[in-house]
Amino acid sequence: MKRFATIVTLAALVLLAVFLLYPLALVLDASFRIDGTGGLTLGNYAAIVKSRYYLGSIGNSLFCAALATAFACAIGIPLAFCLARIDIPGRALLLTLASLPLVLPSFVSAYALVLLFGHAGVVTTTLRGIGIPIGSIYGVPGIVIVFTLTLYPYVVMPVLAGFQAVDASMEEAARNLGGSRPYVIRTVLLPIVMPAILAGGLLVFIEALENFGVPAVLAEDRPFLAVDIFKLFAGESDANPAAAGALSVLLIACTAIALLVQRHYLGKRRFSTNARSAPAKLPLTPGLRLTATIVSWGIVIASLLPFTAVLMISLLRFRGPVLTWEFGLGNYATLLSGSYRPLLNTLTLASIAAVATMLIGAPIGYVVARHRSRLSGLLDFVGMVPFAVSGTILAIGLIIAFNSGPLILTGGWLILVIAYVVRKLPFAIRSSSAIVHQLDPSLEEASINLGVTPSKTFATLTVPLMASGLVGGLVLVWITAASELSATIVLYASGWVTTTVVMYHAIEGTGAGLAAAAAAVLILVTAIPLLLINRRINKQESTVI
Amino acid sequence: MTAIRIENLTRTFGAVRAVDDISLDIRHGELFTLLGPSGCGKTTLLRMIAGFVDVESGSICFDGRRIDALPAHRRDTGMVFQNYAIFPNHTVAENVAYGLRARKVPAAEIASRVDKALERVRLAGYGPRSPHQLSGGQLQRVAIARALVIEPAVLLFDEPLSNLDAQLRTEMRIEVRQLQQALGLTAIYVTHDQEEALAISDRIAVLRRGKIEQVDTPERIYRMPQTAFVAEFLGSTNMVPGIAGAFDGRNTPVAAAGTEFTVRGEVAAPGAPVLLSVRPEALRLRDGSGGSLVHARLALREFLGPVQRLHATLPDGTQIRISALGGQALDLLPGAPLSLAYDPAQITAYPAP
Repeated sequence: MKRFATIVTLAALVLLAVFLLYPLALVLDASFRIDGTGGLTLGNYAAIVKSRYYLGSIGNSLFCAALATAFACAIGIPLAFCLARIDIPGRALLLTLASLPLVLPSFVSAYALVLLFGHAGVVTTTLRGIGIPIGSIYGVPGIVIVFTLTLYPYVVMPVLAGFQAVDASMEEAARNLGGSRPYVIRTVLLPIVMPAILAGGLLVFIEALENFGVPAVLAEDRPFLAVDIFKLFAGESDANPAAAGALSVLLIACTAIALLVQRHYLGKRRFSTNARSAPAKLPLTPGLRLTATIVSWGIVIASLLPFTAVLMISLLRFRGPVLTWEFGLGNYATLLSGSYRPLLNTLTLASIAAVATMLIGAPIGYVVARHRSRLSGLLDFVGMVPFAVSGTILAIGLIIAFNSGPLILTGGWLILVIAYVVRKLPFAIRSSSAIVHQLDPSLEEASINLGVTPSKTFATLTVPLMASGLVGGLVLVWITAASELSATIVLYASGWVTTTVVMYHAIEGTGAGLAAAAAAVLILVTAIPLLLINRRINKQESTVI
Repeated sequence: MTAIRIENLTRTFGAVRAVDDISLDIRHGELFTLLGPSGCGKTTLLRMIAGFVDVESGSICFDGRRIDALPAHRRDTGMVFQNYAIFPNHTVAENVAYGLRARKVPAAEIASRVDKALERVRLAGYGPRSPHQLSGGQLQRVAIARALVIEPAVLLFDEPLSNLDAQLRTEMRIEVRQLQQALGLTAIYVTHDQEEALAISDRIAVLRRGKIEQVDTPERIYRMPQTAFVAEFLGSTNMVPGIAGAFDGRNTPVAAAGTEFTVRGEVAAPGAPVLLSVRPEALRLRDGSGGSLVHARLALREFLGPVQRLHATLPDGTQIRISALGGQALDLLPGAPLSLAYDPAQITAYPAP
């Protein structure tokens, strides 16, 4: 058993060292060299500190991330509370819909905002037509809106679980001791769910800070870290890999600090109360219940509205950048007239990446959950590093690492798959170790005791028992890989253009109709498997229970 | 039928010596129980025999053959787990057949052996069922069948009955004992329940902090505990500290709790501090005289049906418990004086710690 764990751990560490740590080390190295390859220098950092543009870039990114975190908490916590404690009509459906924004591509939502409220947006032109001026949504306002509406489920999910994990007796005890309901919420409930709020909030912050697609669509000329890193590295005119490296290191530092703060805080506090009986739904007056219902549904619908808008707009005809009110499939014709290749690429790459990620992630998750040792602790830590690294930075590192030398990967499909696998690995590890935690270790011991070798036990007993959870993980990895933009845009080569790349270039250029069609395809590609798996997961759960 | 020899077995976790230099000889066909409070090392010792915990030093032999370096899946032990560990993705029959398949037994033989094993645990016909259709007691029987069917060298039980309710537990322990005797298998049984241990074991080892306190038959463990810990752990005894007096050639008087107890034999040098173990059933309520006597005052009476338990106060205020039969009519109020008769041979003395 130990040998199996050691082999998995070592293999995983080697893989992560080659495809994650080594590329990142090269980015770090480049940030300390003149022009990225010359002698050692601190000049790249000095240039950033002296530059108002780059300081503005860092400031904008941090400001947007912080604001989005605050707003996501502001709508996420009440929504979680309503879902946990108020009898809202259609609660189950609402819960499913509320988790959708997490897997739908956020830059599509950003593009929807452009289509609706941009310079030539539907709403903008309509309002202007009847004489109502409308402010610009480009820059901070639009970016914060999109981040809030796409990332708030990160707050809702853990906080909802937190509210449901508070045993009914906890609240009853507080009430019995004379606390009024608001007093009890403030002194008992909120402190108990505080770690969940913090965990969710920091996730929003990190995701917002790293996100490339949303500012790429909405920033226009305003500086944003993730976009600037990309432009400095891949830009045609003003490429500066050294500055890109330095900005990357600063971005990783920000996300790493956020991650460490979260770990430190959560490590010290444990407020699980082993809920036996879930707290009862709050008795509310019809008026209050109606308000809660409207607010909850309102939040969720608002977050999904941009996606529906894109789906509808993709069916309208564009005349140049200007939208008309004529129906037609012209946009899709344009999208597919060139070739089916981008769509095919998206599906192929996502499939390979999803299978590879789960094949690598499941044994790691198993070892991390089952065999505590110094080595597996190291693996657990390294396996979480991709959380703190944006796709763009990882892609840059991969290019520096595998553009020359013994292993040349640039220009092919494999480097894209590697980037997806590394980026989604923390998710695969977390989800499979969560499943393993729920499996009784004595099941495996019983199998070994009956004469089956540990590795065969893992393959024939543990994996089938993990299967339902692994399938769910596989689909989620598939979806997020299919809509990946930040690493793809750096790594793709001519033969391996994906739908996201087509959409990005269409937005950059003037192909508004093309972009809308590509966005619609991305929504369908991500939403359909999710709905399929949702039914399957429900079925599996009912048979397991 | 396997004899097990364990020599100088040690295992530490950090600073804790979970199993501390334990040596044991377990005979052919014996049901041998490891008994002790939680954290005494009994489960660690069992898991070392099964191969789930590495041996740090010392050796384990089955019939003179060292097995402690073998991986767990080649030790040929059949283990029954505390939470049954029935594979939820297999049927009952598949669960029982699991070990036979691993041993590459021909399919036809598997079917007949599985049927026989299920019959033995009174689950004939349950083969095609799914585990979640079975009750806790039935799952426990499947676990036992699964361990028996491979005809292992040794059966290992890790607190197998602790998840069952009290009545089922007493029924199942009889079944376990009868199966083990019928098949003549050597079995090691871990429990923290002293009654269970006394009821089914051929011999018991009482463990404390990774060390063996005493190895003996149930009767001798109960009647002649060699240490104060064993006396206290088996049955709820009264432990009374005292000072030994002069040995009179037959008994030793011990001054304790403001009165004097007479103990058979020479227990300690005069003036030495000792600890007396006085079992609740060793004290009898007497109105008349005769035998050795101590005086106490009734504090509280618990009527428990078949027995009643009296809580009494010795002259210096020490609380003791006395067992009396439930049928005995006692018309006593708290505060009433009690005369308690006892046989000096039934009181054991230990050197004070």
